[in-house]
Amino acid sequence: MAFLAVENLTFTYPGKKEPAIKGVSFEAEKGEFICICGATGSGKSTLLRLLKRELAPIGEKSGNISLSGANQEALSDEDSAYKIGFVMQRPEQQLVTDKVWHELAFGLENMNLPRAAIARRVSEMAAYFGIEEWYEKDVNDLSGGQKQLLNLAAVMVMQPDILILDEPTSQLDPIAASEFIQTVKKLNRDFALTVLITEHRLEEVVPVSDKMIVLEKGSVLYSDAPEVTISKLTADSPLLLAMPAAARLYHALSEKGSCPIEIKDGRRMIEQKYRTSIRALPEPQPSSETAPALSFRNVYFRYDRHGRDILNGVSFTVQTGEIYAILGGNGSGKTTSLSVASALLKPYAGEVRVFDKKIGDYKNQSLYRECLTRLPQDVQTVFLANTVKEELRGAEYGMSLLPIDFTRFFDMHPYDLSGGEQQLLALAKVLSTKPKLLLLDEPTKGVDALTKQKLTAVLKSLKDSGMTVVLVTHDVEFAAETADKCAMFFRGDLVSAGTPREFFSKNSFYTTPVSRMTRGIFENAVTLSGARDLCLKNGRKGEEA
Amino acid sequence: MRSFEDLNPIAVSVYFLMITFIFMFTMDVFLIVISFFGALTYFFTKNGLSKPKSHVFPLILFIITALINPFISHNGATVLFVLNNNPITLESAIYGLVMATMLTGVLYWFRIFSEIMTSEKLIYVFGALSPKIALMLSLSLRYVPYFAQQVKKVKNTQTALGLYKEDNILDRIRGAMRIFSVMVTWVLENGIITADSMTARGYGIGKRSRFSIFSWKPWDISLLALSCLLSGIAVFLLKNNPFSFYPYFEFPSLNAKTLTGYMLYFLLSLLPTIIHVKEAAKWRFLRSKI
Repeated sequence: MAFLAVENLTFTYPGKKEPAIKGVSFEAEKGEFICICGATGSGKSTLLRLLKRELAPIGEKSGNISLSGANQEALSDEDSAYKIGFVMQRPEQQLVTDKVWHELAFGLENMNLPRAAIARRVSEMAAYFGIEEWYEKDVNDLSGGQKQLLNLAAVMVMQPDILILDEPTSQLDPIAASEFIQTVKKLNRDFALTVLITEHRLEEVVPVSDKMIVLEKGSVLYSDAPEVTISKLTADSPLLLAMPAAARLYHALSEKGSCPIEIKDGRRMIEQKYRTSIRALPEPQPSSETAPALSFRNVYFRYDRHGRDILNGVSFTVQTGEIYAILGGNGSGKTTSLSVASALLKPYAGEVRVFDKKIGDYKNQSLYRECLTRLPQDVQTVFLANTVKEELRGAEYGMSLLPIDFTRFFDMHPYDLSGGEQQLLALAKVLSTKPKLLLLDEPTKGVDALTKQKLTAVLKSLKDSGMTVVLVTHDVEFAAETADKCAMFFRGDLVSAGTPREFFSKNSFYTTPVSRMTRGIFENAVTLSGARDLCLKNGRKGEEA
Repeated sequence: MRSFEDLNPIAVSVYFLMITFIFMFTMDVFLIVISFFGALTYFFTKNGLSKPKSHVFPLILFIITALINPFISHNGATVLFVLNNNPITLESAIYGLVMATMLTGVLYWFRIFSEIMTSEKLIYVFGALSPKIALMLSLSLRYVPYFAQQVKKVKNTQTALGLYKEDNILDRIRGAMRIFSVMVTWVLENGIITADSMTARGYGIGKRSRFSIFSWKPWDISLLALSCLLSGIAVFLLKNNPFSFYPYFEFPSLNAKTLTGYMLYFLLSLLPTIIHVKEAAKWRFLRSKI
C-alpha cells in the first residue's frame, strides 16, 4: 500500500466543460521526492490543491485520494490539517502574524498544544532552520528568501508526513531559491518526508528528485525517474526549456541513451562523444558606438543621512539601441540604480543623463510621457483595472509588439493570470507610452521558461526597432541569451562590464550553467546554442569532420 | 539580566495601572508629588539625559497648566495681587501647581509605559483578556505595514508609467483614487490567500491555545504581588484623608497611619528604579567576572 495514492482523479471547475485534471493516478512512497512539471495551465496547482482538503478548489471531483490507506474524506480535520503541509507561491501572502516567533507558533496554537510543548517545538524548529537570529523580528523586515523559509518552518513545526510545495521559489532570487530547495531536500533526507513539488526553475529540483511526473492538459504524460522522463520528452517540447543545462544540451544534440542531468554528467557527455579541437566561437564584430541613451556619472545615493551609500560613485553609459543587463546580488544597488534612472529617487551627488539631457531638466512629468518607462519587479503594481480588457485600453501599440493573444483573457482579472502572462500583460501596458528607453526590473521573476524565451525574442525585436533596454536581473541565463552587454554590480558600484561572452566566460562562479559545464573544454560557450554550435562544429569522435 | 522593562508585560501593566490610577483620582498632594518624583527618577535612571529636546513639551505643559489656573479661577481667600480687577489668589496658584504636577507626572508615566510596552507585549496583555482580539491585533500589525508598502510600490510604478499626467493637484487626486480602488482588490485577493494559509494550518478546527515568548518567573510574580499589595494597603490607609484647596488650602495632619501609607506608595513609585539599579549593579558585578 503506497503512502499517498491518487487513483483516477478527475476534476472539473464549475462552468467549464473540459476537466482541469483528467484521470490522474500516481503513488508516492514514504520519503519520496517527487517533482511535478507541466506548462502553464496543465493543472499542476489544481492537482496539488486537491491533495489537501482545506485548499481543494470547488468543482466536480471523482476518483480517489488516500493517505496511508485512509481515504481523504475519512481523515479527521486535525489529521488533514496537520499531516499535510502546504507551502504556496508568494512568500508574503502566506504569513499571518506580525512576529517570526508567532508565525512559527501559529499552527501549534491551532492544535491547542500546551505552552511548554509549543515552546519546545518552536525552539527546536528555529534552531534546525537557523532562524534563531531573527526569531523576535517583525515578519515585514525579512527578505523574500527568509519569508519563504519561515513559511516552510511554520508548516514543518506541525510535523507533517507529507509536504506539498506549489512553485515555492518562483519569487526568490537564485541564491535564496537554491538554499530553499536544499533545505527541502534536507528535510526529505533527514525525516523521510514525502515531498511533492512543482517549479518553474528545474535546474535545482531535478537532480534531487526521485521521480518526475509530467502533466499535459490535466493528464499524466510521463511518470518515471527524472533522467528517463527527460529523455522521453521530444526535442521541441516547451518543458525542456526549464530543464537542467546538461539535459537541454542532450536534446539539442539529439543524443541517444541515458540523459545527463547534473553539470558533471553533461561534461562527461561532451568529453566522451565530441572532439574538442575548436575551442572558441568567433567573436562578433563590436557594434559601432552610438549616442548614449542613459549615462550615470559618479552617482551617489543613500536612503537616509546616517545610512550607507547604496550607490557608491557609479558611472556607466548605455548606448542607444542596446540591451544592457545589470547583474548582481541582493542589496548590491541594482534596483536602486533603476529607480534613480527613472527619477523616482534622487541621488545626492553625481549626474544622470537621459538622452543627453539632465534628468532634472525633464519637467512636468515629460520624462515619463515621451522618454522612458519602468517595469517594476512586482508587476501586479502595474494593474489598476478589473479586467484585462480595461487594462489594455489604449495599449494597442504594446499589444501589437507581443507574441501573445490577450483577447482570450479579456474578461479575466489581471491577478488571475499566470506569472508569465502577467509579465507580458504588464509589458504591453508599459509599452503603450512608446518609450525610447525601457527599464525592466527582474523581468523573469515568477515567469515560466517558455515565457522567458518569448521575452527574449520580444526584447530583441524591440531593440531592432530602435528601443534601448536596461534590465536588472538575477537570472544569468536570461542575461546571457538576451543582452548585448552585461555589467556586474557589487556594493553600490559597477565592477565589470562586457559582452555576455566575455563577461560570463571570464567569471567562474557568477556565470551560466552552460559556461560552468563547458569550462576548460570550450572557451566562450555561455549559452546553450553556443555550446551546441561548438559541439557540432567539432563533430563527433570517430566521425569524419 | 531582566530589568524592569523585561519583566512580564502583565505584571508591568498592572503596576502602571495601580500607580497611575491611585494618584489620578485623588487630590492628595503628597501622593501626586511622590508619584511625580518616582516617574522622573525612573525615567532619568533608564534613559539618562539623552534627547533633551523631548523634555521641552512636558515643561511647557507644566508651566501653562500651573499659570492658567490662577488666571481663570479666582476662588480662594488669600489674595496675592490684583490684575485688571481680578484677584490672583494663593489657593488657586497652589491648585494650578498641583494639577500641573499631576499632569506632567501622568505624562511621564505614560512615556515610560509606551517605551516599555512594544506591540507584542500589548498583544500579550490583550490576549489575557481576549485571545481573539489579540490575534486580530497581531494580524493587523502584520497587514497594515504590508499594505502601506504595497501602496508605495504601486504609486512609484504608476508615476513611472505616467499615471500623473501633469504636476497639479487635481491630477494627483485622480491618480490617488485609482490607486485606492486597485488596493481594495489587492487586499481582497491577498486576504483570500492568507485565509487559505490559515485554514491549511488548522485554524478554526477547534479551541486554540496561546503561545507567547513571555513567561512568569519569580520576579514577575513578585512585581505583581508587590504592586497589588503596596497599592492596596496604601489606599486602605489613605482613604478619608481629605485635602481642601478653597477657601483655604488645608491638609490633614500626618499621623502614623497616613505616614505609613505614604511610605508604601513611595516604595511603590520607586519600584522600577530600584529594580533597574539593582539589576544594573548585579550586571556590573557579574560582568567584572567575565
